[in-house]
Amino acid sequence: MKNRAENILPPEGVPISFEIASGGSRFGAQFLDILITFGGLLLLFLGLIWAGLIAPSMLATLFFLLIFFIRVPYYIFSELVWNGRTLGKRIVKIRVISADGGRLTPHQITARNLMKEVEVFMPATTLMSGTLESGWFGLALGGWMVAVLLVPLFNKKRLRLGDMIAGTLVVDNPKAILLPDLAVRKSKQETTFVFDASHLDIYGRYELQTLEEILREPPKSPQAVTRVSEVARTIQRKINYVDQVLPTDYWDFLSEFYRQQREFLESRQLFGDARESKYHSKNK
Amino acid sequence: MTIRPIQNTDLIRSSRFRAEREDGWKKLETLLSWAERSGVAALRYEQVHELASLYRQAMNSLSVARSISMDKALLAYLEALCARAYLVVYAPQEGIRGAVRRLFSEGIPRAVRRSSLPLLIGFLAMVLGAVVGYVLYFQDPGWYFTFVPPEMSDGRAPGASTEYLRATLFDDGGRNKETLGVFASFLFSHNTGIAIFIFALGIFVTLPSFVLTFYNGLLLGAFFALYAEAGLATELFGWLSIHGVTELSAICIACAGGAQLGLAVLLPGNHTRRQALRIAGHDAVKLIILAGLMLIVAAIIEGFLRQLVQDTSVRLAIGWGVGGLWLLWLVFAGRYQNKSGETKTPDYEAQA
Repeated sequence: MKNRAENILPPEGVPISFEIASGGSRFGAQFLDILITFGGLLLLFLGLIWAGLIAPSMLATLFFLLIFFIRVPYYIFSELVWNGRTLGKRIVKIRVISADGGRLTPHQITARNLMKEVEVFMPATTLMSGTLESGWFGLALGGWMVAVLLVPLFNKKRLRLGDMIAGTLVVDNPKAILLPDLAVRKSKQETTFVFDASHLDIYGRYELQTLEEILREPPKSPQAVTRVSEVARTIQRKINYVDQVLPTDYWDFLSEFYRQQREFLESRQLFGDARESKYHSKNK
Repeated sequence: MTIRPIQNTDLIRSSRFRAEREDGWKKLETLLSWAERSGVAALRYEQVHELASLYRQAMNSLSVARSISMDKALLAYLEALCARAYLVVYAPQEGIRGAVRRLFSEGIPRAVRRSSLPLLIGFLAMVLGAVVGYVLYFQDPGWYFTFVPPEMSDGRAPGASTEYLRATLFDDGGRNKETLGVFASFLFSHNTGIAIFIFALGIFVTLPSFVLTFYNGLLLGAFFALYAEAGLATELFGWLSIHGVTELSAICIACAGGAQLGLAVLLPGNHTRRQALRIAGHDAVKLIILAGLMLIVAAIIEGFLRQLVQDTSVRLAIGWGVGGLWLLWLVFAGRYQNKSGETKTPDYEAQA
């Protein structure tokens, strides 16, 4: 599934975007949570029975209390303690955030997890116990359960009913990686490539950022070197750069072009002339 | 963060912008990874102070970078950094204990007082069901078999002898004190599951909640009629009251919570349905928490006291006494007035 971004407006007033978690990771987290809670319960009881320390009646009491606890309360407590993350969500690296840009409130966490009872547990237990009634009623019930399960797939923000009531979103954990600035020259040497305004007038932001992506990976294989030289020759032709560029200089040519193009576009933008792509002059 | 002036005039404007601020971002990143690993509580006072100011500066940088920089990598980095910092800075500040205390001292009673219509629907469903069940039984006892599933009736069916029926009310079922605990915990687990279920179904325009509660009422009515026919009405009333006042009210309240959601979907007023759901959710969630709490108490009473107390008048006194306590709490708690005499509305409710 395609990733979607959602803008959140924190109190500082600068919108920041989060990636909406994919349906697969939502399902994975839920599956892991069920596995962890029920598996943990099973292991605990096997251990207790094996150790034989607790009387059977106490064991039964504990069992009924825990079987209740690992349904809705487990999700409420873990999301409260870990700020919107259950164990399963921690493993698949997703989390719950408040859609209004404020902090996640206990109310929101409780509301979204209470709805889990009809959205997750009831369909799951009915399907697993195999007591789905036959006939029209069973068919209607089954269809309705499937419809509830599919709600997150049919809205843009992948909200389940609980998310709608609570006003929450489930997003991927943001990962911050700072890559080096390509516009910083590595050596102090004077540049040999000089581009004037007519050269830099052709492209816009989109082309610049595409070039940035190419420059992030220096070519290693012969094929990659050919691709880079193709890019360099195309740019040279498009911007009408008449000077000779040696094949060994293609990489430097591109780097230098990136730097000067960026400087040019950024200063145009400061003057109110934002150029989104190479079609900027045609739009006027 | 002190902005380090960069001497190198060779850099273009946005690179200079980045070089001047990069140290601050890196520092923020280190603080964030500590806070994410072991919580903000693990940071020292100065570190928290620094975190807050670095967060605001990173936000500022992001806002500026969006208008002056075309470096995609930088924008993506700042965006993710700010998102991470936002999640740490705007984490819930209230401990679980504080939230729970506020919920019980004012949240729940106020929510109950605000939701009279849904509560009416909830109790009406139960009462209507009971009346219909009672009346139908006297028209034709055969209805009893329609309403009450055989595994539930356990021999308590029309035609059973009065002695047998009396024995079901005043018999501890051979349970000793150890198994009472099991019974109570089973009741709690089972009933709370049902209550949450009734509540959550309410989102489908109230109807399923109403039907389930109505059905509970039907059972109750038919059951009552069975005993009334045998001349055991008072005894049954005592047997039911001791835990039923709390338990049945809890079911009605869970239904009311569901009704609140259903009403929001059905009659959203000036809001969109999603907004209306979100607003109704505030009180509805408090109602279901209340129902859960009442079911815990009911399970303890039903599991232990009903078996241990065999006298009808004591049973009545305990049942309705506990009911009166609930009512006192819900009607009077969380009503405080400030000096000017107006009822004070806390900030969080104004926001909600």
